[in-house]
Amino acid sequence: MDEIKVLIVDDEVEFTEALAERLELRGFSPETVDCGLAALEALDTGHLPDVVLLDLKMPDMSGFEVLVEVKRNYPSIEVIMLTGHGAASGGMDSMERGAFDFIMKPVDLGELMEKINQAYEKRISAS
Amino acid sequence: MSNSLKKIRQFFPEFVTEAHTDGGYGRFRLMMYGAMFLISFTPLILAIGLNSHEHKKLLELQEREQLVSSIEGAQNTIEASMHELQAMVRFVAGEYSYDELIKPGRVSELFAHLKDQYPGFVDMGVIGPDGIQEEYAGPFRLEGYDYSEQDWYVKVLTRQLYISDVFMGYRKLPHFVIAVSNKLPGREEYWVLRLSIDSETLQNYVSTVNTRSSQDIFLVNSQGFLQTKSNIFGDILDICPFFTHYKGGEAVTHYSEFKGKKYLRSYVQIKNSPWMVVIIIEGYMYGAKWSSHRFRVRMIFFGCTVLALIVVIQLVNSITNRLQEADQNRNRAVIESQYTNKFASIGRLAAGVAHEINNPLAIIDQKAGLVTDLMETAEEFEHKEKLLHSIDGILGAVQRCKVITHRLLGFARRMDVAFEHIDISDLLQEVLGFLEKEASYSRIRFEKSFAEKLPMVFSDRGQLQQVFLNIINNAIDAVGKDGLIVLSAEFYDREMIEIKIKDSGPGMSSETVKRIFDPFFTTKEAGKGTGLGLSITYGLVKKLGGEISVKSKIGKGTAFSVRLPINDTRKEGNFSG
Repeated sequence: MDEIKVLIVDDEVEFTEALAERLELRGFSPETVDCGLAALEALDTGHLPDVVLLDLKMPDMSGFEVLVEVKRNYPSIEVIMLTGHGAASGGMDSMERGAFDFIMKPVDLGELMEKINQAYEKRISAS
Repeated sequence: MSNSLKKIRQFFPEFVTEAHTDGGYGRFRLMMYGAMFLISFTPLILAIGLNSHEHKKLLELQEREQLVSSIEGAQNTIEASMHELQAMVRFVAGEYSYDELIKPGRVSELFAHLKDQYPGFVDMGVIGPDGIQEEYAGPFRLEGYDYSEQDWYVKVLTRQLYISDVFMGYRKLPHFVIAVSNKLPGREEYWVLRLSIDSETLQNYVSTVNTRSSQDIFLVNSQGFLQTKSNIFGDILDICPFFTHYKGGEAVTHYSEFKGKKYLRSYVQIKNSPWMVVIIIEGYMYGAKWSSHRFRVRMIFFGCTVLALIVVIQLVNSITNRLQEADQNRNRAVIESQYTNKFASIGRLAAGVAHEINNPLAIIDQKAGLVTDLMETAEEFEHKEKLLHSIDGILGAVQRCKVITHRLLGFARRMDVAFEHIDISDLLQEVLGFLEKEASYSRIRFEKSFAEKLPMVFSDRGQLQQVFLNIINNAIDAVGKDGLIVLSAEFYDREMIEIKIKDSGPGMSSETVKRIFDPFFTTKEAGKGTGLGLSITYGLVKKLGGEISVKSKIGKGTAFSVRLPINDTRKEGNFSG
């Protein structure tokens, strides 16, 4: 199986770096960006990830805005919202906008990998 | 001050005082009683008093007029009778000359004729100019009796007609005398014709007067001696002391008292006689009928008073209670709103804090995880195991923090959620999650007994959390150390489920139980309780369409019962904290 390409979008760089490294150790192919604009630019370069891990609250664009853009331009990419914010409305809004799932930080790595795998399988089966 | 009392104060400023305490409402209640009594009794007392006064005046006037009419009638009747008697005596004295009358047997013959017509005549005498009785007809032997020194004889000579008072005289029988004097022809001397008439005749004249049975009618002379019998004052010649001041003229009518009774009396002089006719009646105002009438009026007044008292008390109690209830509801609503807002603010604050903590926690989590990953692949080095163990400790602490922040977020995010289907068992478990740790420090045990297959309740999660948090918190405070709190949930009926929270605390008195849901009521020490928790709880349960009740006994603990509708008819989403 090809490595699953994961784009981690979060302004908490310490978090994204550690998570990326750990995912890489487990056979994933992660990339990190620290804001929504950088995420959209990365997608525009054509290196499309399989799954995006997207924070909700970021300085330039909110996770929702990024999600909407991603799903509009690259509907096959699955997005998992990953946030420390716990409002139920955030979760529901995300799902309505096409997110694959909504996970709260701190997240168990095993659980996160399972979600990534499920999202990836969905993407594969859809294509 | 409560809003209702403020409004009333605009109209009755002196009535309404500070009333957010029981004392304030008590004073208001007393003032309302006063005002209502004044309003209801003043017209009643005035109406009855004025009516009674006017009625009495009218009756007195009517009674006086009737009596005056009676006395005038009596005066006319008796005067007519006496006039007839005088006319007859004058006729005899005019018709027969002195010389003829002193013929032997003539007076006896004439007297016999007269007595046929007037049986009351006792005797008849002819007295000569020297005052000696020359001829006599009657039951006694009075021929030759000398009257020249007697007072009446002198009077008859000067007045020509004389009527005496009733007296006993030689005859030892009550009688009176009519005497007329006539001039002897051709001489300056007078002879006298004298007739004695028994008092029965006078009594008959009086009896012919139409009077009511209640009236006493009699004759009395100017010295106050009865001339006829009186029902009140006694027999003939008994004393009747009231009329000595009367000098004749118009009829006099007035009230007077005799032997403890009030009478209305009227009297007037009988012309050409020494007598007054007197009519006495028992004053209506002082008689049994008036007493009975007054008794009836008093009973009516008493009845009206009792009725008014009942109505006033009921009315004032009802108004005050409604006022108090309305104020309490308003206070509760305001407090509830403030409390809910505060609760929501705390929720939002908790959510913010949890979010802020979650991000660094995620960093710690991932960094520690990465260190573990790296060390697991690294070669053995000194203290490796110890470091891995320490990192496990860090990850364990992160997990504990995660549980707390997730719970806080879960709690906070439900503040603004409207109606939804809720598993009551889960909800109670969730609430206990907040309290169990604290309760464990006091070794408080929780026992749970939830019926199987309880239906989901369609309600507001946040509001229900507040309800059970308040009740269980109170139970924790009540049971103290080593206490027991039992939670149960079961069907109440087809439409409701019942959640009971029983504690093994000291219980409450019935007075406390009555006021337990009142705002600001607390049994906790000053500064330890606001007295709002259960008041708000009550309001929330009512708003959710449920019922809340409490049973408690001193020494036996307390049991709160919350009944919630399974399907609330309210529309989803229109209800928020």
